Amino acid sequence: MEFNGYDLEPNFYDEMFDADGNPRPHWRELHETLVNLSKVELSTMQERVTRSFYNEGITFIVYGDEAAGERIIPIDCIPRLMANAEWKRIEKGLDQRLRALNLFLEDVYNEAKIITDGVIPTDVIRDCPQYRIEMRGLSAPHGAWVSVCGTDIVRTDDGFFVLEDNLRVPSGVSYMIATRKVVKANLRNAYRSSRVLEVENYGTLLRETLLELAPDNVSEPNIALLTPGIYNSAFYEHMFLAREIGAELVEGRDLLVNDGFVYMRTTQGLRRVDVIYRRVDDDFVDPLVFRPDSILGVPGLIHAYRLGNVMLANAPGTGIADDKSIYAYVPDIIRYYLNEDPILSNVQTNLCRRPEGLEYTLDNLQDLVVKEVGGSGGYGMLVGPHASPEERNEFAEHLRSNPTNYISQPTLALSRSPCLIGDKFEPRHVDLRPYVLRGKETRIIPGGLCRVALERGNLVVNSSQGGGGKDLWVLGE
Amino acid sequence: MLSRSAEGIYWMARYTERAGFMCRLLQLQTEALVDRPIREIHFGWRRLYTAINRRPLGGMEGFEPTDDYNLVDAYFLTDELTFVRTNDASLLSCYEMGRENARQVRNCISDEMWTALNTEYLKIQDIKLSDIWLSSPSSFYEETGAGIDRFTGVASATMYRDEGWHFFRIGQFVERIQFTCALLLAQTRLEERSRELADADWRSLLRVFHAHEAYDRMYSIETQPQFILNVLVSDPQLPEALRRSVDRAGQELDSIGDGPNPATSQAARRLAGRLSALIRFDWADRTDNEAFLTQVFTYSRQLHNLINESFFNYSITGIPRADVR
Repeated sequence: MEFNGYDLEPNFYDEMFDADGNPRPHWRELHETLVNLSKVELSTMQERVTRSFYNEGITFIVYGDEAAGERIIPIDCIPRLMANAEWKRIEKGLDQRLRALNLFLEDVYNEAKIITDGVIPTDVIRDCPQYRIEMRGLSAPHGAWVSVCGTDIVRTDDGFFVLEDNLRVPSGVSYMIATRKVVKANLRNAYRSSRVLEVENYGTLLRETLLELAPDNVSEPNIALLTPGIYNSAFYEHMFLAREIGAELVEGRDLLVNDGFVYMRTTQGLRRVDVIYRRVDDDFVDPLVFRPDSILGVPGLIHAYRLGNVMLANAPGTGIADDKSIYAYVPDIIRYYLNEDPILSNVQTNLCRRPEGLEYTLDNLQDLVVKEVGGSGGYGMLVGPHASPEERNEFAEHLRSNPTNYISQPTLALSRSPCLIGDKFEPRHVDLRPYVLRGKETRIIPGGLCRVALERGNLVVNSSQGGGGKDLWVLGE
Repeated sequence: MLSRSAEGIYWMARYTERAGFMCRLLQLQTEALVDRPIREIHFGWRRLYTAINRRPLGGMEGFEPTDDYNLVDAYFLTDELTFVRTNDASLLSCYEMGRENARQVRNCISDEMWTALNTEYLKIQDIKLSDIWLSSPSSFYEETGAGIDRFTGVASATMYRDEGWHFFRIGQFVERIQFTCALLLAQTRLEERSRELADADWRSLLRVFHAHEAYDRMYSIETQPQFILNVLVSDPQLPEALRRSVDRAGQELDSIGDGPNPATSQAARRLAGRLSALIRFDWADRTDNEAFLTQVFTYSRQLHNLINESFFNYSITGIPRADVR
């Protein structure tokens, strides 16, 4: 099917076509494959992709709309391609960023030199709700406070930008793998000849990473994946990963702490747990230390962690480093700890806690994206150019009453990639979330979850906001 | 294996087994609606409701075998027993509970099992009785039942034979023992009351347990209630006979071993043995069907409780050792 009528707007970088409408060199093969497929073949392929997610029950739940039940993430069958050289640069940038952020976490919970040296103002740390005073004086094995990171990256005409670092419990990796499995099966010739780098070994890499975190004196560590349970939005992913890494999928009620050690309740009695890949937020992980009303966590877990008898990935308190106020300082953090220039750029960020930042934001609300500093998942944000005057006024009120809670950024012209919409190819905005693992060493999966805003013109790619997914093919050298 | 996972697998097996029984019973009922006498249809409803220990809307008294409105009632009764989610015993509820348990333990079962169960569930989740009533409701039950059989077959072909498998089998057998007892008890109690059951009322029972062909081979087409009960209770070659379910449950318990609470797990194994001996040796000499079946039913409930206390929700005694892994 030809790309007739494919809308190449000059304002947006198109992943497949250059400004003259020619396919970029690394896309040529796939472009030819797509052109040679008939409408019927393409729609059958799309149907197979959707059907596969449906039959396998690869679902998520949208909070606030639980009545709608499990949903299937809409997957577009056309992959997004990335040239090897582009990926290499991203990979280096991700490694650099995570090294710096882990050093920041080790520092901020111990000597806090970055504050005394005046790189980050005290109030930014002090006011951040993700700063966990309970973690003061603690260290993480191999300095890996963050062992699993999912960084959101976007591309514009000016290059790649990091939109946010997800350092708490980033999700989406299971959709990446499920998408890869079904898309490559449907485009197998193009896949093979494009020499696409593998992402399906993520489970092996995650397991290796978690084993490296185990307490030193344990020869055969038991790993458990702690899930909030079946009603959590990402439960499918928890189940999937538990199996991939050979861990028991536990809920808080399956665990108990005795004498500083963590045990799980099995059919053969209690069994020690040495490493917990937790997918429960800090707030809920231990009711004796954080929220006392939590029934999702394990009383005494942080005590066991302090004693070094169990390791948690990610460590509690990492949210301080992906808070959107701190985000603005990440380039400084990289320079401070690594003495290197950042490889990946940040998006220019206005802190509304600063009077000049608030004033600029209020004056330019129609052009900016405003986000809550602790928000995620596309909740609590305003996309100025797409909001009505009433919505903007309402948000301005929020900003004035609690400026500390917000940052603003320019509305980025996210790149677009071709999608199969109905029976034709149309461009849609995309982003990218690669996953970085850190134990003794860094492991980066060549690929990631490519999120796509399937509604025409929409810039919000979160699945909770109607976004979908795409396979990302990072091509071999 | 995590206790909660084992419990999830056990209940997944119980609910899907129960859904299978509901399918077969409802298939019989909807087939009977085509050409069977009202008295027979009426008996079928009463047996079904008695077996699941539930009263139909309007109460059992609302049934008048001579009353033509039974046929109109059939729509509401079928709906209540098939699609009404507020009825825990409905086919859809059982299916949903089975699938929900499977969803929680997906990492402990095979992908093929999950896909088999999920695709079958997706087929029926949005169906309403009005969609199938005018065409062929019995085909719906036949196909849904075949879907459950497929799931069981896929489980048998693909599930790793670890503890999870043993709990899956125990769940199936415990459910089968309890449902069989409940249905046979309903039959004997209703017979006691009416004393005029027709051959068809007994032959339908054979079909519920896939036993009609074997029975015909053994006894030709002569319908003898006592022979039928013998086959369903104590025939060692009938897959769904009580005797076989009880024996197999005991074998699966042996495979699992003592677990963390040997006092209760050994009690469970002894009870399974006692149940097996009861059927093997006492069935032939019984004087009262109802008393005998009630005894088996009581034992089977005790067995469930002991399994629960042994492996799923056991109490923790003593301080665990730090080196236990």
